Amino acid sequence: MLRDITLGQYYQADSVIHRLDPRVKLGSTILFIISLFLFDNAAGYVVAALFLALVINLSKVPFRFMVKGMKAIVFLLMITVVFNLFLTPGEPLLTIWKFRITKEGVSLAVLLAIRLSFLIIGSSIMTLTTTPNQLTDGLEKMLGPLKRIKVPVHEIAMMMSIALRFIPILMEETDKIMKAQLARCADFESGNIIKRAKGLVPLLVPLFISAFRRANDLAMAMEARCYRGGEHRTKMKPLHYERRDFVAYAVVICYLATGIAAGYAAPLLLSLTGMTGGV
Amino acid sequence: MSAVKGHGFDMGIIKVRDLIFEYIRRDEEGNVEGITTAVDNVNLDINQGDFVAILGHNGSGKSTLAKHLNAILYPTEGTVWVDGKDTQKDEYLWDIRQTAGMVFQNPDNQIIGQVVEEDVGFGPENMGVPTKEIWERVEESLKAVGMYEFRHHSPNKLSGGQKQRVSIAGVIAMHPKCIILDEPTAMLDPKGRKEVIRAVRALNDVERITVILITHYMEEVIYADKVFVMDKGAVTLQGTPREVFSEVERLKELRLDVPQVTLLAHALRQEGFPMPKGILTKEEFREALDDCVKELF
Repeated sequence: MLRDITLGQYYQADSVIHRLDPRVKLGSTILFIISLFLFDNAAGYVVAALFLALVINLSKVPFRFMVKGMKAIVFLLMITVVFNLFLTPGEPLLTIWKFRITKEGVSLAVLLAIRLSFLIIGSSIMTLTTTPNQLTDGLEKMLGPLKRIKVPVHEIAMMMSIALRFIPILMEETDKIMKAQLARCADFESGNIIKRAKGLVPLLVPLFISAFRRANDLAMAMEARCYRGGEHRTKMKPLHYERRDFVAYAVVICYLATGIAAGYAAPLLLSLTGMTGGV
Repeated sequence: MSAVKGHGFDMGIIKVRDLIFEYIRRDEEGNVEGITTAVDNVNLDINQGDFVAILGHNGSGKSTLAKHLNAILYPTEGTVWVDGKDTQKDEYLWDIRQTAGMVFQNPDNQIIGQVVEEDVGFGPENMGVPTKEIWERVEESLKAVGMYEFRHHSPNKLSGGQKQRVSIAGVIAMHPKCIILDEPTAMLDPKGRKEVIRAVRALNDVERITVILITHYMEEVIYADKVFVMDKGAVTLQGTPREVFSEVERLKELRLDVPQVTLLAHALRQEGFPMPKGILTKEEFREALDDCVKELF
């Protein structure tokens, strides 16, 4: 049951987006997220939607796969939308008992819903098209300059990749311990929250003990294979930029510029044609 | 097979002299409760190209001894030389770990990479081997253990025997002269055990890598050139598998299982049948039984 949880799931396909350098994907995702907060009108979001559609199309990842990832945050999305809808002061549109929906509230809620779902889709494209290993490699290389101020970049990346490697193993182990404890009449499902939390103790204690044992074994195995930190280390799969990576950077910058320009141009166009208002 | 081996490589790859290793037991407050001698006055000489087995039941000190051969543990007293280098000297540490590779018991706890080929490349990466050569080494070592077609797989999806073969490939990629296997088959099913032992024997036969196999499965020992039996930290029996398995009573005292055919031959001998000592395989047993029948009837 626990094995159904997948973290940073990767969708195997052969596409331009898959082949891009992980640094490009990381950087672009960050830029895309920033752009979502920079744009504050409909025109900007139209540009963002077009850009997203283009990338999704290029990535060859089915759209429903991404929507699946959205399910987890539907609840969060609803809360934000409801709060914004009812608690924004302004010109009232509709009043139900004590609650008032305002015009500003509606526009803010819509804006936030779009912003959040774009954000999730944008970052899930990155995780769907990049293996966890490439991601940690990319992070290590990107954060490389921080080594100068004594940030243990290599160690952090190594820890991340080991953690990712051990997630399925520990999941399986949790499953096993759970079954073993259930066979001895442990109860994980009934009672209130406090009782259930207490019920987890016989699950967590053996899990932690075994995790420490594994860590100890792994450290010994790594040392036996001459691991001595990041220095003198060569890479089996070194990262280097290709032409497509520079093209990708250019595309992302074009997108940013278009989005910002659209933000200025749209109201101007609208006022020229006499259609004032808009969102 | 054994006649060819060791030919021209007569310098000892591993030499252990008067090795003693003690560890201090402490109670919960950290007070010294006592000293346990895990390895007690062990002397070993292993030649390049040998296939050596170290036997012993749990707690006999065989794993502790193995960890000395790879400079993971250091002697309390005595000296260990690997390829002529003293393991206690810091400047040789990485040379020694590269010369004597080590495979551990639990396959899950020694695989670092998330893809088979990346794990095999881990050792060469640490040694600073250039990228192109890493790929060559990964390919050749995965082929040597018969796991090349699995190079893009995730280690989590492999069977125990396959994982252990990947671990062995990870060590071979470092081009060691000697490979120490610390109970590599203890957590495997019979099929996985066979796979691993076959891979190890091939390495010894074809690549001439010295193998030190630590195990408590007797069936795995019969191919060795030399067997050491450990008990309470000391080497109590040593010799060729045939010599060692002749001592059926002694092995029983040491709580070690003897291969079934050896045991049967021993039982027959005790009943007065003229069976030779130290029978190791079914084929030998069949021949001996034929001779025996001819002689008697």
